Amino acid sequence: MYKTESVSNIEAFAEKIHLSKRELEMIFDVTPECISVINKDHQLIRVNKSYALSAGKPIKEILGRKCYKVFWNLDKPCEDCPVQRAFQTGNQESSKKAVLCGKNEVRYFETCAYPVRGETGEVVRVIEFIKDITDEKRIFEQLIRTEKLASIGIMTAGIAHEMNNPLSGISGTAVNLLRMPEKYGLNEKGISRVTAILESAARATTIMKDLLHLSRKQNSCSTLVDINSLIVKTVNAIHLRGAGEVQRRFNLDESIKLISCDPSKIEQVIINLATNSMQSILEKKARCLESGKDFSGLLEITSVLQDDKVLITFADNGVGIPEENRSKVFDPFFSTRPAGQGTGLGLSICLKIIAEHGGRIYFECFEDSTVFSIVLPRERKTQLDSAIHL
Amino acid sequence: MIGFFMKKQKDLSSYRILIVDDEKAIRMMLFDYLEVIYQVETAETGEQALDLLEKSRFDLVISDINMPGISGPQLLREVRRRYPGTKTALITAYNIDEYIKTAKDYLITNIIPKTVPFNFAELDSIIYGLLTGDIFGLSRHLLQDGRMVDRICIKSTKEAREAREHITGIFNRKFGSSGDMKLILDEIITNAMYHAPVRDDGAEKYQEFTEIELEPEEYVHIEYGYDTEKYGVAVNDYLGRLTKETVLLKIERQITGEGLLDDSGRGIHMSRLFADRMVINIDPNKRTEVVLINYFSNKYRGYKPLYLNEL
Repeated sequence: MYKTESVSNIEAFAEKIHLSKRELEMIFDVTPECISVINKDHQLIRVNKSYALSAGKPIKEILGRKCYKVFWNLDKPCEDCPVQRAFQTGNQESSKKAVLCGKNEVRYFETCAYPVRGETGEVVRVIEFIKDITDEKRIFEQLIRTEKLASIGIMTAGIAHEMNNPLSGISGTAVNLLRMPEKYGLNEKGISRVTAILESAARATTIMKDLLHLSRKQNSCSTLVDINSLIVKTVNAIHLRGAGEVQRRFNLDESIKLISCDPSKIEQVIINLATNSMQSILEKKARCLESGKDFSGLLEITSVLQDDKVLITFADNGVGIPEENRSKVFDPFFSTRPAGQGTGLGLSICLKIIAEHGGRIYFECFEDSTVFSIVLPRERKTQLDSAIHL
Repeated sequence: MIGFFMKKQKDLSSYRILIVDDEKAIRMMLFDYLEVIYQVETAETGEQALDLLEKSRFDLVISDINMPGISGPQLLREVRRRYPGTKTALITAYNIDEYIKTAKDYLITNIIPKTVPFNFAELDSIIYGLLTGDIFGLSRHLLQDGRMVDRICIKSTKEAREAREHITGIFNRKFGSSGDMKLILDEIITNAMYHAPVRDDGAEKYQEFTEIELEPEEYVHIEYGYDTEKYGVAVNDYLGRLTKETVLLKIERQITGEGLLDDSGRGIHMSRLFADRMVINIDPNKRTEVVLINYFSNKYRGYKPLYLNEL
């Protein structure tokens, strides 16, 4: 009697342990973060399913191998390895790193290492959490940019409005003078000077219109648009001196079909991004020509359907964006082009338009290419949405 | 065409226009341009304008909105009170959408935008309409250069459809685009055919979305045309039931983002939203004309004006 009871107790106890083990394994495996247990020699003792999935190998092929080889495909531990530090300090350690995935994509990871102590208090294992923070990082960056833009917008809208009045007077008066030069005693030289005034006023107006565009909450309408044909049509309509020499390659995902967006706005974004790319290519071409090197420019435009989103990328092999300029690219009035060519507002406007569409815009710089990406939701949710196609 | 020009030369020099703006360059610009045709005087403030009006008759007062002292809308209200025969219009560099409420409150129906470059041709046709009361017809809005105007008369749903295809087809072939004209035309023609005709009890005579034939005395008349800088259409019904109050209300609802789902007046909403210019002319109980214009280049785009004339 006593014996049986004890056995059934133990069985019940074992069952409890099994259950709790399954629970823990389940938690371990369903977590989207990559979790691993690592020893002092960087060997993987245990990994979860997310880890194996990200590493692209079955779990049994991973265990016992070096973490840096399996996950990062490196031959020696990462610089600034948090696991190593956790072993040394006995504290929780973390680090962030950027990794090139595929040809045109950088992804960002955050790694946290938690020390596990043995009986003697010495760190015997480290549990490592690796989290893909690419999306978070991009959303956060865009948030900052959009906010910066909003405050500049409010400030400049007032100025731009006030400018419109005198500008209208300046250009209108110049038009009158040119229309009847004799009446105002204007000779040939006078006419050319007044023409210059008119041109300057027109340029100031362009800047002002762009500024107002940035700050104004505009009426926007959504319709269903074949985004691929919009891309091709728009890019081919760009008339830029020398653009004919730039090879264009379209890799368009035909499964995208229709997305809901404001076509005239998206067209503006496409024009901006493609023009920037082409100008960058043409600049590189000019530089290569000077130094007698061979160069053929390529603008590659890709569209991919990703679940309920569409990713559109513009990759060029032009001069690229110097490190020191990268943080300023989306700032209003930031331009590397000579005065008079562009207002430096193009990308700020793109940012605003894409944000209005509930999408994202970002860029990545590689050794021999620069890639601007926009992500658009297929369904745009706005107040006007349902009404336009009545 | 020649007739139009001759009339201008002959009759217009007796009209007197008062320009009120605190910005000297604008005053001078408008003076220089208009004095070739009309008699023009200028004032720096609303108070100065009222003094000038006291001394002599003016047929038209064009005033800036924001000025030191009394504002443009206040001035125009006072002008209409004292001199009922004098026509009025506002002119502004600001976003006209922000003044639609003011327009409703002060019953101002014409607000001219100060575009850069200034749109003198548009100023011409608007002033001409205000002064002479000769407001109807698409050709008044087109330049002489490269002007073409044609007309279609519609008496049934089928003809309406064909006319729409024909007109947008011409614009597409000639200019590579018809903007959103097809969409707007659909709305405006629907308004003219289905919503304008009413029975004696006030109920609409024809039911929307059904194929109809208008009665012998009823018809909708469409003009379409272009010049070297723009193309446009004018849709006419000969009932004249629209009122300026309704139009102002509809535009206000458009600007606040409401109104798109309204059963009536959606055509006005969409016209103002999608066309570069919308001009509405009303001869009460006789004729309503909705003129829609798109420019080829975007230099005159930007703030949309308010052009609404009721005889």
